[in-house]
Amino acid sequence: MENKFSVSEFVAYCNQTLEYAYSGCVIEGEVSEYKESQGKWVFFSLKDEESSVQCFMPIWNLRIPIEDGMKIIVRGTPKLTKWGKFSITITQIQPVGKGNIKKSFELLKAKLTKEGLFNPAKKRPIPNNLTKIGVISSTQAAGYADFIKIINERWGGLKITVCHTQVQGLSAPDQIIRALKYLNEHGEVETIAIIRGGGSADDLACFNDEKLVRAIASSKIPVITGIGHEVDESLSDLAADKIASTPSNAAQFLTRDKKAEVKRLKDSVDFCRDYVKNLIGFQIENLSSNLDGIKHEILTKISDIEKEIDQKLKLLEALNPERFLDRGYAILSGEVKLGGEIKIMTKSQKIRAKIIEIEDKE
Amino acid sequence: MEEKRTIDDKINEFDEIVDLIQEDTNIENSLEKYKKATKLAKEIKVDLDKLKNEVEVVDKDFSKE
Repeated sequence: MENKFSVSEFVAYCNQTLEYAYSGCVIEGEVSEYKESQGKWVFFSLKDEESSVQCFMPIWNLRIPIEDGMKIIVRGTPKLTKWGKFSITITQIQPVGKGNIKKSFELLKAKLTKEGLFNPAKKRPIPNNLTKIGVISSTQAAGYADFIKIINERWGGLKITVCHTQVQGLSAPDQIIRALKYLNEHGEVETIAIIRGGGSADDLACFNDEKLVRAIASSKIPVITGIGHEVDESLSDLAADKIASTPSNAAQFLTRDKKAEVKRLKDSVDFCRDYVKNLIGFQIENLSSNLDGIKHEILTKISDIEKEIDQKLKLLEALNPERFLDRGYAILSGEVKLGGEIKIMTKSQKIRAKIIEIEDKE
Repeated sequence: MEEKRTIDDKINEFDEIVDLIQEDTNIENSLEKYKKATKLAKEIKVDLDKLKNEVEVVDKDFSKE
């Protein structure tokens, strides 16, 4: 006899089969009949040109704002309710297409801005002269390779702890959130860099996930993002403490430049050498100026002595007896006595004379 | 045993010497500082050329809770 099920058993059996075969299936479609119930649940239909399927999810799990007409990708598990209704229990949602991503981005941005999540006053500085950096990225991504290459070229001696995660797709936000939690709790790093190279708007949409944005904003360790190209802006960027325009730019921001440092050292050594050189030059100049002073002092002294000698010579000259003869006087020598002989010297003659009379002056 | 100095310790010492030399008017002292700064700059350059980064990929699967 064939197996018989009760209705409940049948529903349970179907759900078991559905869960086994389609757990975590990914479906793309357009949102219609979106509604929220009791602030707890979200219901909507996902449709394409021909079909439609009911979707359900707890509101706390809705990590991007959606609305009717928006094209999205969902991850979920099909389920048959006990009333026989078929629906998908959604676990993850991501908007599809530039327009939808932009719309969802703007709605969530407005909500989180109102909450003050992007307040510039809350941004913390990324420490200088880092030695330990945490990185969240896909180690297979080109952006990651650029980041590591530039860091290695610029500076050495750093400890870089890398958490390998997906950086696009529905699973990426949860993986990045877990990596953020891990680095905050065990990483012993001074900053966390979330790195992802360029991609389409769809590729980068995971960085607008509300839970991820909140996790970045509440990280105890400062976060820098280097996501996409310069023109790309995500809500993760807005929540981070520092936005780098690209992975390479993040690497440049986080590390000092070896070449610039060597040049700075050389310039400083040159400065020290010039300083010592100038100091020696200054002291030589000072010494030379002192020598000039001493020389001047000696010359003045010599000049004074010369003047003194000159004066004395003039005095001597003035006292010279010859000068009296010039003026018509004569010099007498010999013993003065009657009949005695004396010598008389005039300017031009020497005379011997006899004394014939001696008379006292009154 | 002397504790191994990091490259930042050496850079800080270098910057300190360069700052101090400007306050020194004694030729012998400033010449000594200049020699010390030259020696340190050479050491730092060698360290910078020698030092490599250590990249460790965490052995944990973040796709699971």
